[in-house]
Amino acid sequence: MQGFLLGLASGTVCLAYCAPVLIPFILGEGKGIGRNYSLLARFLAGRLIGYLLFGLLAWAAGRLLIKNSIHQEIIFGLAYIILAVMMFYYGLSRPPEICAGKLMQKSGSRFLQRWPELLPVALGLATGLNLCPPFLLAFTGAADSASLVQSLLFFLAFFLGTSVYFLPMPLLGVFRRVAPLQTVGRMASVLMSLYYVYTGIIMLGGGIIGS
Amino acid sequence: MSKLRAIIGYTLAALAVPLVLAVFMGQSFWMKELVAATGVKVSPWLTGGDVIRTISHDEYQISIHEQVFQGLLSEKKEGLVQVDWKPAKNLPDRIDEDIDYDGDGKNDFHIALDTKSNQAYVQSLQTGVIGLEKSYVLKDGQAVRVRIKNPRK
Amino acid sequence: MSVLEPEVNITPQKSRIPRAVFLTLPVLLLSGLMIFQGSIPKMGPDLIAKSITFLIFNVVFFLMMYTGKTYKYRATLFTIIAVCFSIGFISNLIAIRGSMAIDEAHMLAGETPFCHLVIPVILIPAALTRTIIFPGSLLTGFASIAGMMVLWLGATLALGRGWCSWVCFFGGFDEGFSRLRKKALIKKIDPRWNYLPWAVLIVIVLLSALLLTPVYCEWLCPFKTVTEFTKITSFKTLVQTVIFISLFLGLVVVLPLLTRRRIQCGLFCPFAAFQSIFNKINIFDIRVDQEKCKYCRKCVNECPTFSLNEECVKEGRALMSCTKCGKCVDDCPRGAVTYHIKGTPVKLQSDTARVLFLYPAYIFMTAIGGSMVVDALAKLIKLATTGSMI
Repeated sequence: MQGFLLGLASGTVCLAYCAPVLIPFILGEGKGIGRNYSLLARFLAGRLIGYLLFGLLAWAAGRLLIKNSIHQEIIFGLAYIILAVMMFYYGLSRPPEICAGKLMQKSGSRFLQRWPELLPVALGLATGLNLCPPFLLAFTGAADSASLVQSLLFFLAFFLGTSVYFLPMPLLGVFRRVAPLQTVGRMASVLMSLYYVYTGIIMLGGGIIGS
Repeated sequence: MSKLRAIIGYTLAALAVPLVLAVFMGQSFWMKELVAATGVKVSPWLTGGDVIRTISHDEYQISIHEQVFQGLLSEKKEGLVQVDWKPAKNLPDRIDEDIDYDGDGKNDFHIALDTKSNQAYVQSLQTGVIGLEKSYVLKDGQAVRVRIKNPRK
Repeated sequence: MSVLEPEVNITPQKSRIPRAVFLTLPVLLLSGLMIFQGSIPKMGPDLIAKSITFLIFNVVFFLMMYTGKTYKYRATLFTIIAVCFSIGFISNLIAIRGSMAIDEAHMLAGETPFCHLVIPVILIPAALTRTIIFPGSLLTGFASIAGMMVLWLGATLALGRGWCSWVCFFGGFDEGFSRLRKKALIKKIDPRWNYLPWAVLIVIVLLSALLLTPVYCEWLCPFKTVTEFTKITSFKTLVQTVIFISLFLGLVVVLPLLTRRRIQCGLFCPFAAFQSIFNKINIFDIRVDQEKCKYCRKCVNECPTFSLNEECVKEGRALMSCTKCGKCVDDCPRGAVTYHIKGTPVKLQSDTARVLFLYPAYIFMTAIGGSMVVDALAKLIKLATTGSMI
């Protein structure tokens, strides 16, 4: 649930930053809603693969590095606080124009030229591996999971939360709505970061008292 | 077509007044209908849940509430159980009691409650009991909430 | 000439009075029923309070009909209602509990009055768990959950976001402070702040669903300053208290004073964002006649809730956040901005749309605000005559 809600709160930012690059690339010149949804499905599949890979990585990191530590509450508390502060700054500042989709477009990989049908999947994978603070918070949340399955489910839920905003893309005039969505998303990120700072402080306090 | 739209517009606008009057005149009726139709109740996390068992002592009684694990989509791994002691004027200065909240015949935790200072101490007697969440002063009595593990998770 | 066709409407001064009296008669009757509730009390504070309230509400409506202006009369009454609400609410709390602070005993007993601001956050948990995440009473007591939900549903269908200027018993504070200064000290406000209510709405709805607790009430509601709040028993409740007092002073007092705008209502309140959605289906809206409009931007600069900008004025309509307060209608030097009924011509120069909107709005205002004014006046009279409100 927490993963889904984190995704919902930060998903507008995910959409707004990559949409100006991806929409013309993926949707082309409007080849019909069915074709557009097929392209979107492949794009989202690529995003999902990226997110699940990260879920696996988060579980491994949690297991190997943190869970063996007697100070895991302190580590997680600190991680939440630092990442929340980053998310706060991320929400307030002008974002750098980093989008893997742009790079993908420019690189003109021979592999993708051979199998153009995989291009939306590759774009989705590239955009999915964006290390923005909400993503890192999801990583921390997943690393705290008790099992690999839970970690993967956390990232699946995060993916579903962010993907909600992509679903109307083939139908609506998204360009017009991107700037307000971006502003709402960044403001929501700032507010959510306050919740994560609070959670981190509680965990840190609990860890310090417990140890 | 534009005349039809205008007629519909004016009609709906005029209906706003009877709507408002119906809301106020029939408020108690609509309230009951709303609750009956939706079947909602106040969250057990806030009320402590329904009372499932009462135990009478000489001058006071104990009410044991249902176990609360409610989550948004599924039950949570941890929840709480609330135990009340009423009425306030008949409570002894100190209560020492073993509580069986799940009705399996085995005591689950021991509670020591100072009714003057509202300080409570919970000793777990079963593995499902995590510890004291909080003690409360009620309008006519006292209560404690104990954190417990969900046996189904 | 039918109401469907434009007409030139010049009403001579003499004929305005009978028209205003005629239009006020239904309000006279309904307000009498609502305020006196079918019986005239014996001579005393109660009768005096009810009579004054009856007079105030009917004089205000008469003036709206007579002058053709809405905003200044509505805003004054709206502020009076908010102040009276707080006087009555706080004095009742002190009489019952001895303090404005609500303690856990009363919360566990389900005695927390339910207010409309919490409606957006209870909906998802209610839909998924069939429980209300608010420590109130469903059907009984003052401000029961079901009672407020019925009122909200009715007002929303009839008025849309008009709730925020005609019904909300908190909005009058914001409105009152925004009207104290003659000139704004802060004139330029970044239009991106208009989106903050939506961000707050998303976050509180999500967090409340996650935590199954009303996050806005616990952490962000500034109006706890003038109603009730959780007793300070821990560091957490102390932090919550500091937050809500700071938000009240900042968003309800200082910024409205400096900007002459309703900052809390226009740039923070998540209920406002939620209520804006219902403006899309409400039959009443505000329109701009493009032939009359000369783009002087007076309406854009004066709108208390930032519901007009240059783009939407060129499109001929207010934004979905419009609370139908009437300021733009009254302020427009060319009469280009009007109340409007969807589906009807914009160029219509009759007062029909405004009157048809004012009736349901004013009935709601009287029904809810009237009892608050009566209660406060009775208490003030008691204070003046006996030295105690309680």
